[in-house]
Amino acid sequence: MGLGLLASRALRSTRAFSPLNPRNVRTIVSTPELQKPEAAAAVAQPEADLPKRTPVAGARVHLPNPEDAIEVFVDGYPVKIPKGMTVLQACELAGVDIPRFCYHNRLSIAGNCRMCLVEVEKSPKPVASCAMPALPGMKIKTDTPLAKKAREGVMEFLLMNHPLDCPICDQGGECDLQDQSMAFGSDRGRFTEMKRSVVDKNLGPLVKTVMTRCIQCTRCVRFATEVAGVQDLGMLGRGSGEEIGTYVEKLMTSELSGNVIDICPVGALTSKPFAFKARNWELKGTETIDVTDAVGSNIRIDSRGPEVMRILPRLNEDINEEWISDKTRFCYDGLKRQRLNDPMIRGADGRFKAVSWRDALAVVAEAMHQVKPEEIVGVAGKLSDAESMMSLKDFLNRMGSNNVWCEGNGVHTNADLRSSYLLNSSISGLENADVFLLVGTQPRVEAAMVNARIQKAVRATHAKVGYVGPASEFNYDHQHLGTGPETLKEIAEGRHPFCSALKNAKNPAIIVGAGIFERNDKDAVFSVVEAIAKQGNVIRPDWNGFNVLLLNAAQAASLDLGLVPESDNSIESAKVVYLMGADDVNLETLPNDAFVVYQGHHGDRGVYRANVILPAAAFSEKEGTYENTEGCAQQTLPAVPTVGDARDDWKIIRALSEVAGARLPYDTLGAIRSRMRIVAPNLLHMDEREPATFSASLKPECNEKMSTSPFGTAVENFYMTDAITRASKIMAQCSALLSKQ
Amino acid sequence: MSFTLRSVKVPPNSVSLEEARSRTFEFFRSACRSIPTIMEIYNLYDIVNPSQLRSAIASQFRKNAHITNPKVIDMLLFKGMEELNNITEHAKQRHHIIGQYVVGNQGLVQDSGSKDQGSSEFLKNFYSGNYF
Ligand code: SF4
Ligand code: FES
Repeated sequence: MGLGLLASRALRSTRAFSPLNPRNVRTIVSTPELQKPEAAAAVAQPEADLPKRTPVAGARVHLPNPEDAIEVFVDGYPVKIPKGMTVLQACELAGVDIPRFCYHNRLSIAGNCRMCLVEVEKSPKPVASCAMPALPGMKIKTDTPLAKKAREGVMEFLLMNHPLDCPICDQGGECDLQDQSMAFGSDRGRFTEMKRSVVDKNLGPLVKTVMTRCIQCTRCVRFATEVAGVQDLGMLGRGSGEEIGTYVEKLMTSELSGNVIDICPVGALTSKPFAFKARNWELKGTETIDVTDAVGSNIRIDSRGPEVMRILPRLNEDINEEWISDKTRFCYDGLKRQRLNDPMIRGADGRFKAVSWRDALAVVAEAMHQVKPEEIVGVAGKLSDAESMMSLKDFLNRMGSNNVWCEGNGVHTNADLRSSYLLNSSISGLENADVFLLVGTQPRVEAAMVNARIQKAVRATHAKVGYVGPASEFNYDHQHLGTGPETLKEIAEGRHPFCSALKNAKNPAIIVGAGIFERNDKDAVFSVVEAIAKQGNVIRPDWNGFNVLLLNAAQAASLDLGLVPESDNSIESAKVVYLMGADDVNLETLPNDAFVVYQGHHGDRGVYRANVILPAAAFSEKEGTYENTEGCAQQTLPAVPTVGDARDDWKIIRALSEVAGARLPYDTLGAIRSRMRIVAPNLLHMDEREPATFSASLKPECNEKMSTSPFGTAVENFYMTDAITRASKIMAQCSALLSKQ
Repeated sequence: MSFTLRSVKVPPNSVSLEEARSRTFEFFRSACRSIPTIMEIYNLYDIVNPSQLRSAIASQFRKNAHITNPKVIDMLLFKGMEELNNITEHAKQRHHIIGQYVVGNQGLVQDSGSKDQGSSEFLKNFYSGNYF
């Protein structure tokens, strides 16, 4: 601090204080002019010529019609905003970040923390900017002594009852309260009484609560009701007796509950599995993609050394907004258990023996050469990336076999028209739909983020939801129309009351579950659904409401690459089965003398029958392309090194192809990708949704009969769907405690 | 290892490449001259003969044959003398000598190399690790 500044401070303070008692005013305010903010504010501020400011976090505004725009002044800087924006949003556009606790741009406005106070000219008191609509010509001042004093005061009140346990708090380092008290708080406290304390609540195996730290911002309550769609959390009591809790002793039963950890501005709600494991500044973040369902949520893997410590969401407005499901967030401990780390061969005694890669590959190649080419079968797993599926298909084709598919794709599934297996409305586009018809799908367990969009549409526009399928739980209003194909037929023939809703809808959306791919009468079901779509005018040039909700991360890419089984009984006649991470294929019909190769990262179901194990890398350890259910290709990046002697999937197949004498022509990821460009160019357009070009009406007519058996549930247990989640202890706890309630 | 340092005097820097070169030869000769002692103190008679050891020493020199900077050569000479000193002072043990100079860098498990013959660079890299 320069001498001049000190001198001017001294001068000013003599002016501000009354000369009678210059000493015995004890104040916590360290900046003297805050003592009499009104007087200081009266000192005319010189009109500085203002530098161009950039909006906070690249905030942008879209003015639908320019007449509705109003102009306000933030610290003298004019901004144009649409009508109805709040003062806080206007400030953000002007590049001023207003401190806040309760305001969250995806939740309703509560206005109860008062941290966002700003001064508005001609208003007698500072106003809570998050709740105040901006009015034309408003002169907002965010940096005045009055505003600063107001913040300091609010901060003091908040800290009054906030415990001083930052050293043992998991939020430390990424805590809004910590940061903002450093920036806006006072430098000393006046509080000498006792702090209040609150009993901790048990919210289940995922969310740890230390309720004494809660500052009653109610973000978590609003999140639970508005986004997660469960009324589990609420506010009890008044005044200093105010508490957040579940009204009765009850766990939080939402598949999105982990997100309250992110939105809680303090350490009241933290991650239970992550508790006391690491400090956030020790972690290295890797921006990657989730593979536990077909949504492809954008995530950040935080790792320390070779260990994945936690998974956080990343903002992507088109896919997961800023939320992720609990399965995505907490499956990471499965990455440390049950891992395969050495190539192994099953000996004569039925036990596995670790061998070198050279020997393992030689044994596999030998076995493949012993049988006829048609007797080789390859199955890609749920978590396979596009590159490895491409090389598996190329390899088996070179060996002379075309029996290669990805699990969950059913037999003879139509993989030619992309529109017949993608979510054509796009995930964010579902928000515009006003009538939903869910056919044989339970989005809540199949794709929690898609369900959140439907919930959003239902909440915002009272969209109608009709559901055909087995009884299931929803977190929004819905009509259960029936359980089986007969109901579909009724709708198609116009005999069902739901038809009128579908006909009158502006943007009707039909969502068909990918579980139907496994049915024998799937072509018939799809043609009936298409008949409904034609009646309801679901497919128009400006709106495609025909959607298929896929189940697995690998599915869309595998269909793009044409990994579809050719015949129903290839497993029965197989002599060599190559499982690339496939754990859920039914191997019961496999002949006993068949030779099974399992390439994968977890010792899961596929390993029980395997003769040779080739250890591969999990999604957190490799670079791979995944396409989500709406047709958007995204890439994972390696966050941690591979375990043991494992190798990337495509490298294993490339090496095996050479040992087997059918050498694949690519040595690098780049080379595989140029091969993929020939087969499915859309897989190379990263982070871009590639909509299907042909409409479903190009399909040939189908004259199969639908069977009468009702639709089944595709996902029995939300928390355990693949090798990683089945190996996870946290997911096991969740399914024990939460799914059966 | 103070006793090593005591016995090794740091010679002045070589002025030119020629000087460094002659020093190198001198050092090579002194190393070769100590081979009989080394055979004696580490009891290497049944596993190696002097000429093998000599070529092991020579290969250590050849490894750095491309270096032309006299300063670097001086530094390498210093390191070499330190190593030689350690060996002749019996500061090492028998398995050090065997590991470093008799079995050599190929390691104890020797691949005949015939297995990987004709396989591509990719496959060789694949066998040695995932990151290449
Ligand atoms: S628990 Fe956290 S999010 Fe919920 S009201 Fe308290 S401080 Fe806010
Ligand atoms: S952010 Fe405005 S009152 Fe809390």
